[in-house]
Amino acid sequence: MTVARAVSVLLEDRWITLNRAVGLIRRRNLPVHSLAVGPTATPGLSRLTIMIHSDTATADRAVQHLQKVVGVRAAVAFPAGEGVVRELALVKVRAPHERYGELLDVVQLYNASVVDDSADAMIVELSGSEAFVLSCIRALERFGVVEVARSGTIALGSGNDIQSGTLP
Amino acid sequence: MTETLTGSQILCRALLDQGVDVLFGYPGGAIMPFYHALPEYPGLRHVLVRHEQAAAHAADGYARASGRAGVCVATSGPGATNLVTGLATANMDNTPVVAITGQVARAMMGRDAFQETDIIGITQPITKHNRLVEDVEELEDAVAEAFYVAQEGRPGPVLIDIPKDVQNQKAEWKGGQSVSRSAGHLESTARPPDRPSGLENAARLIAEAERPLIMAGHGVLLSGAYAELRALSERTGIPVITTLLGISGFPESHPLHLGMPGMHGEVHVNRAIQQADLIIGLGLRFDDRVTGNLAGFARGAKVIHVDLDPSEIGKNVPVEIGLVGDVRAVLCSLLDLLVQRHCDPWREEIAGFVRPRQDNFRGGLSPEAILDAIDGATSGRCSIVSDVGQHQMWVAKLFRYQRPNSHITSGGLGTMGFAVPAAMGVALARPDEPVWAISGDGGFQMNMQEMATMVQEGIPVKMAIFNNGYLGMVRQWQQFFHGKRYSATPIWSPDYVRLAEAYGIAGWRVESADQAESVVREATVQPGPALVEFVIEQEANVYPMIPPGGSLSEPIEGEPAPPLVPA
Repeated sequence: MTVARAVSVLLEDRWITLNRAVGLIRRRNLPVHSLAVGPTATPGLSRLTIMIHSDTATADRAVQHLQKVVGVRAAVAFPAGEGVVRELALVKVRAPHERYGELLDVVQLYNASVVDDSADAMIVELSGSEAFVLSCIRALERFGVVEVARSGTIALGSGNDIQSGTLP
Repeated sequence: MTETLTGSQILCRALLDQGVDVLFGYPGGAIMPFYHALPEYPGLRHVLVRHEQAAAHAADGYARASGRAGVCVATSGPGATNLVTGLATANMDNTPVVAITGQVARAMMGRDAFQETDIIGITQPITKHNRLVEDVEELEDAVAEAFYVAQEGRPGPVLIDIPKDVQNQKAEWKGGQSVSRSAGHLESTARPPDRPSGLENAARLIAEAERPLIMAGHGVLLSGAYAELRALSERTGIPVITTLLGISGFPESHPLHLGMPGMHGEVHVNRAIQQADLIIGLGLRFDDRVTGNLAGFARGAKVIHVDLDPSEIGKNVPVEIGLVGDVRAVLCSLLDLLVQRHCDPWREEIAGFVRPRQDNFRGGLSPEAILDAIDGATSGRCSIVSDVGQHQMWVAKLFRYQRPNSHITSGGLGTMGFAVPAAMGVALARPDEPVWAISGDGGFQMNMQEMATMVQEGIPVKMAIFNNGYLGMVRQWQQFFHGKRYSATPIWSPDYVRLAEAYGIAGWRVESADQAESVVREATVQPGPALVEFVIEQEANVYPMIPPGGSLSEPIEGEPAPPLVPA
């Protein structure tokens, strides 16, 4: 079944390793939806989270290919619906004076916050699952969305499941 | 006591530490410090090629023949980019090649300096690993890592790019004390052996199957599983199919040997696959040239797939049981679980699928006649290196390979121009037996400049050219699928005998079958390189042929009827 799946990759935080991992994803023609990369709690290691829209076999094969990249320390595909999966979005939206209150209601409904407020536009910060973020952006479109920046999805396994615990 | 050396000296010592005895290369600006140091290390023989592509192919040939990493060296920029085809060839066929390239000095990098190119970026998708050496302190480690990564697990090419100033930098020789972190990591993540249940289930399927087949690929050669494959086949009576790169993994004279499958596989081999109820795939990747249309591939067969690389299991073909591991190691465990059985009714059925070959060649100079001549003249004691195209299929199917790893060719990438330079590497790895490089007239002309290398270095490669005046395989496709429009396939050749003479080597032209064996015999005993041109039928085809996109059940066995012309 084709659904969004998070593949989490721990790799050495060097350009060449990231380049290699991302190059592999392109070369293997994987159906990638988003990429996010950033530091981890372990110095020298980054986490690359790849959201792919695929069946289980494709996600597992992506992991097997990634595990072969020198500099990749661990890779795992979360089963669909498992793990904590989040993304952050900044949405610049028109905020005409007469609809200001209505707009703030929407922001509140989605548990979002206003991080920049100028004469006729504001930037709304929100986070959640991809579906939640998309739903919020749709709600804001009524006011006129000017620009969107999304972080791409990041994920962690829930409970005691510690990916970095498998590191040598 | 510590010793301070230049980066170039460290590189030479590290290569010697890895057991390297020969390098194929070409000097240039950014690799000059290395070439300056090289004469201090007479244990490293340098073979000056005429084009860097040949250096990569020669290193590849050396690796395939010796089982040890082959090494090629080039300068930055064009030198490095010329290696690319050879590295891609080694990558597709899993050959351990270590490529060393010079790079412009660090201060110049990223500024489009003269002969600067991002060879790390360029070769990333066609190497198993590559690395820019950013400081001389890393160098010894980088070389150890390169050889480790190239040869461990599923082999492949590794490139190390060394800026010119790093080659001149000085550092202490650590004497092989360093252990690469990345390399250590690879070892630690090596897969645990498969659970015994996989092996037991495989043994059960093998015991129960009525129409089983073994498909043996390159993994059999890479792991040296010759005896184990033979034991598997003989204990169970299961016939063995060898893929293009699996050829010479199983003796062709063996009654259980069936032949090559796929696009140009014999009809009985492909029919056996289509009728099979069990396929035991050993170290192959079910390439599209082997399977034909996947939807129609072996629909009645369960598949047991043995491969070292877990990402290969189920990649192309659905698998009942995947056994991850070195083919030889897996077969050793599996053999313990297998009881003696036979497959006589199935073998009789397959024998009924066999079709007689009916090719007609001018002067009787058929591919069989030529290959029989080579077989006869060398008593089968030779290495055959083939190029790509029609002759490659004939050489794969018609030579009677008896000895392990005696057939070398570019399978995955299908690199024309491979045979002549690769054969140089094979010849240096196997100085005690004749090496025949067999090419078509197209492929030969792609790298024939290497005759000069052979002469200068005294590398005794015997070259055979199947000359039909066409890029034969493309012409065959044009004949079958493009209405005989022979666009850009007729190809002129020089007078090869006089060309040989110009290079100072012996050359012959053979136009009939009765000359073939005596000429091959003469060429084989001739000291040094020799060239034999075989003038063959111009429009001969390789039969049978599965049309591209077709299933193994749809072979073309003779010239297809011309397409109907619309009225």
